[in-house]
Amino acid sequence: MKAYNVINTRLPRVDARAKATGDARYTADLSMPNMLYGAMLQSPLAHAKILNIDVTAAKKLPGVRDVVTWKEAGLVKYGVSPARYDEQVFCSDKVRYVGDEIAAVAAVDLETAMEAVSLIKVDYEELPVLLDIESAMAEGAIAIHEDFPGNVSAEVHQEFGNFEEALKECDIVRTDRFTNKRQDGGFLEPQACLAQYDLNGNLTLWSSTQSVHYVQRSIAMVLGLPVGKVRVVKPYVGGGFGPKAAVNAMEIAACLMSKRTGRPVKMLFSREQVFLHSRARHQFFHEFTTGVKKDGTIMALHNTCYLDGGAYSSFGIATIYYAGSLLGAPYRLPNMKYDGYRIYTNKPTCGAQRGHGGVAARAGWEQQLDTIAAELNMDPVEFRLKNMMKTGDVTCNDFNMSSLGMQECLEGVRDGSNWAAKKGKLPRGKGIGVACGFFVSGAGYPIYRSETFHSTATIRLTEDGGGVNLYTASAEIGQGSDTILGQIAAEALGVSLDDVMVHSGDTDFGVDLGAYSSRQTLMSGHAVKMAAEDTKRQVLEALSEQLGVTVGDMDIAGGVVIFKKGKPDFSRLRTLYIKEHRGWEDQPSGAELTFREAARVAFITRGVIIGNGAYKPGELGGKYKGAAVGTSPAYGCSAQVVEVTVDEQTGKVTIDAMTDAHDCGFAINRTNVEGQMQGSLSMGLGEALFEEVRFDAKGRVANASLGEYRIPTALDMPNVKTVIIESDEPNGPFGAKEVGEGAIMPTIPAILNAIYDAVGVRINELPVTSERLFAAMKEKQKK
Amino acid sequence: MLLLPKFDYEEPKSLPEALAMLSELKGNGKVIAGGTDLLVNMKKGTVRPACLVSLKKVEALREISGEDGGLSVGSHVTISEIADSDRVASTFPVLARSASCLGSPLIRNRATIGGNIVTARPAADLPPALLVLGARVELRGKDKDRTVSLDGFFTGPGTSVIETREVLTRIVIPSPPPFTGADYIKLGHRAALEIAIVAVSSRLTLDKPDGVIVDARVILSSVAPTAIHAVSAEKALMGQRPSEDLFAKAALLAVGDSSPITDIRGGAEYRRDMVNTLVKRTLLKAFNDARDMKGGNA
Amino acid sequence: MKKLITLTVNDTEYEVAVAPNRTLTQVLREDLNLLGTKEGCGVGDCGACTVVLDGKPVNSCLVLAVQADGSRIKTIEGVAHGDSLHPVQETFVELGAIQCGFCTPGMILSATSLLEKNPHPTEQEVRQALSGNLCRCTGYQKIVEAVQEASRRMKG
Repeated sequence: MKAYNVINTRLPRVDARAKATGDARYTADLSMPNMLYGAMLQSPLAHAKILNIDVTAAKKLPGVRDVVTWKEAGLVKYGVSPARYDEQVFCSDKVRYVGDEIAAVAAVDLETAMEAVSLIKVDYEELPVLLDIESAMAEGAIAIHEDFPGNVSAEVHQEFGNFEEALKECDIVRTDRFTNKRQDGGFLEPQACLAQYDLNGNLTLWSSTQSVHYVQRSIAMVLGLPVGKVRVVKPYVGGGFGPKAAVNAMEIAACLMSKRTGRPVKMLFSREQVFLHSRARHQFFHEFTTGVKKDGTIMALHNTCYLDGGAYSSFGIATIYYAGSLLGAPYRLPNMKYDGYRIYTNKPTCGAQRGHGGVAARAGWEQQLDTIAAELNMDPVEFRLKNMMKTGDVTCNDFNMSSLGMQECLEGVRDGSNWAAKKGKLPRGKGIGVACGFFVSGAGYPIYRSETFHSTATIRLTEDGGGVNLYTASAEIGQGSDTILGQIAAEALGVSLDDVMVHSGDTDFGVDLGAYSSRQTLMSGHAVKMAAEDTKRQVLEALSEQLGVTVGDMDIAGGVVIFKKGKPDFSRLRTLYIKEHRGWEDQPSGAELTFREAARVAFITRGVIIGNGAYKPGELGGKYKGAAVGTSPAYGCSAQVVEVTVDEQTGKVTIDAMTDAHDCGFAINRTNVEGQMQGSLSMGLGEALFEEVRFDAKGRVANASLGEYRIPTALDMPNVKTVIIESDEPNGPFGAKEVGEGAIMPTIPAILNAIYDAVGVRINELPVTSERLFAAMKEKQKK
Repeated sequence: MLLLPKFDYEEPKSLPEALAMLSELKGNGKVIAGGTDLLVNMKKGTVRPACLVSLKKVEALREISGEDGGLSVGSHVTISEIADSDRVASTFPVLARSASCLGSPLIRNRATIGGNIVTARPAADLPPALLVLGARVELRGKDKDRTVSLDGFFTGPGTSVIETREVLTRIVIPSPPPFTGADYIKLGHRAALEIAIVAVSSRLTLDKPDGVIVDARVILSSVAPTAIHAVSAEKALMGQRPSEDLFAKAALLAVGDSSPITDIRGGAEYRRDMVNTLVKRTLLKAFNDARDMKGGNA
Repeated sequence: MKKLITLTVNDTEYEVAVAPNRTLTQVLREDLNLLGTKEGCGVGDCGACTVVLDGKPVNSCLVLAVQADGSRIKTIEGVAHGDSLHPVQETFVELGAIQCGFCTPGMILSATSLLEKNPHPTEQEVRQALSGNLCRCTGYQKIVEAVQEASRRMKG
């Protein structure tokens, strides 16, 4: 392997000091002179006609500067996928879930704004409330959206190979069902935004978002502004995990009210509003029929899935496809049939969350595979090794595994967990389980149909050669993209990370689709690498003119110019630099020509040195309907082994140990890769054991708090033994691909399989609360 | 962002001043101690007192002292002070254990023992242990003071015998008899930041290390409107020689004493099953401690 | 009616007139401009607003500013000494204990309070001490490792 100076290291994150000292600014920390505070009126009813909205009293309250409803905001439909623009900023005809936005107020302070909201009078006519898939699909059920009778928001039918034919060759055919629960992102920072419309008609929005680009486009479209007049800036973001990947009504309301009042408007979600906005993981109801030969060869899968979508579409059109397509790997599966139905219900809208669309499918199917392995009397690791794909394999749904360290991952966790000494040998109540998974490294296509670049990057060298400014619209949301992109820029340009200043999360810095589908390292990384190489080329060209050395015989590495065929006399350049910097104490010295000197020469001879990079994947994947979802330039994969203890008298599960191996292609930052692995496993553990958004009979969230919606605490999560696998992805910058989402895939099924190993029961419904497991064990005893 | 409604705030310098103030406020005033429960309810809008009265200047409410081999704990002693107190740990370890189960370290540093009692939440952590220990609470009013047993203090979820003009000032725990052991087990979903699905506290007193049970107390929490005695279990244990069979029998009787509901934290059936499990476990631990300890410690 | 209170925050004394219904989080952030203290839930469920009040880490969202009158408070801005980071901050930076950073100020304050009380905690004691501070990003492992490493460094 090549030797690198900056990447493949454990350099601290570029934002770590700011975050450790409290200096890092998040959106809620921002304020401006003359700023107003906004608040929203959200529907208390899950389904109702709006008969009348009376804002008179709210407008009269002293301190109120603006009150807006659909009359002011207009009726432009928006959403995530243009195929399903089904949202309005404010409801006009009816409300579709508890939390649906009806009006907003801007006032001199938050107390006044909230008081004004309470003075808005809405007359409703209540409609039947459809809280689950059965009632929403029932004959004669009221349509939540008029254009979608039957409440089917999307439907997918795919078949690759021939499922029925393949079953004829199978010795074992099993059908199992599985369901997860609606989840919440559980990020620590509630959404917040600050909008400022200036006197020249330019709108700037600071927001806690995962994608400045999508927010910019949505706001421009809804408010009827040119994209060029809308700037979206992302300060530090306190976690996203998917739900912050699209525009929200609060952002648009703040922009609208700032435009109308000419004053900056700040708005914040309470924790309860985070739950009402949701856009987090759907509840999926899967049924898997899988056929396997007696030698253990997996032949065919028929996967049927119903998704409880909530009131609007959000990312749901992608979700429904992912719920099918993400079972195409990492096992060779020649025949796969998928039927998916996403159903509208009167609940907050579901969208994307870490492992988008594939987590429940993976959990259910990996558990079924474990059952099949047991029926075959095969060790679950051996069974998986027998069926797994290798680098170069193409799935039945046309995903190209251009690199795939699946075998290394499986062997890594097998050996790392001491599997052979434990499997089948643990005392009752203790168990061990394994599972695998894979995930995209960036969606192959943007969410709107477009030829756009997915990521652009610009590098501007400072005129003294001392600094490298990297500009990217990518979104640092905690996952570490600023550090990764800074490292890529530094390595590709040949300088140290300290020399690079990363400016990110601003639509003024270029186009970047943002932090979703695990795309920043691969896609933005490509653009940054290209920009750095472009910059380097320009510096070397300028140097070449001065020194008469051809560009090909030079390089930059470790902050100095490398002359491959002997060092020329560069004393003239050094003297020039030194003369220009009289009085400075850090003059260049030594035998090497520094990057600083070279960059200065480039500036003096050519003006500001600006390097550009722009990336979009080439033509990828299949031609069938829906081929765009799941298609990616590269795929990460992983395997996990989990060890548990089950208290048989209470049903309580304790996770004792976790071993995780992930193929990230190439680790740009090893500490960050481990951090993504550990964080993913923690979220998976939460979903497996605790997490569930619940509703009362009227469709109100019954546990809209971090007290009753339980994400793991430090006492619930064990240490993880992490094994980084590097398969050198040909389509990734420096061979890198994803880790941020794929790492969650095996966690839930590995836990489920370990529970089975411990106490012999299969749980087909998450979360595995102590109550659910206790009931299952009791049921089993009765039989 | 959640905002608090408007209210007045007073910090009387002495208890008599506070009692006079509360009397004058006629139910519009509320004592704020740690505030970890009260402020949450106020932010949610479920309680709206016109005036909060803080007793932070009344030093006496923050003392822990020994009293005739027992313990006197001021109502404003924080939960972490109880959990960390050597005196509590050595005389009533079950109380320290239950204190360490409450919420999180951050909550425990604010929440008080008095608050945990007065809020009368059916799943509160300290009352089960205090009940098995036979605690009494001192209630002071402008015109009259009284000391009542914690048994009978709670009248329902969120309600108790305390009157709006009264202040709970002190919790008094009598000296434990010899050969006494106790335990508290809380079953929650997570390992911290939890409210009990079911919690049980039990205490056994033997006449001698290998003797018979002369006093038995079994308190069930989160399975009835208030923490309750498992009366038939206690009765079945009395006078008997301890054994796992006896504890199993008592546990089944305790299930019958409980009347759990299904709510967001757990189902009624599961709760009944857990009463069975936790009563057995707490009795076993209580018995082992009673036998091993040479007397006195519970 | 507003009350005049005195807070000693990070060794600096402030006199502030505050309405009784304002929390310590609000006054620190809005009146004293100490924005490192975060609000994640407002009801004591998450620990993002942790400050050290008279030596003990607490949820500042559940403390009225008037209740803190006369108290000594340490916020994340008071942990480092000038340019030199506290060992806990140092190890958080170096060992990857920080991702989104929203829980970090509270985590660091809980951790430094623990090490003052118990300079050599076991892993379990560290996890106990941090159990009121939720983190959704890291899975806690690198946070726990950073606290243990800081403990080792502070020994010397």
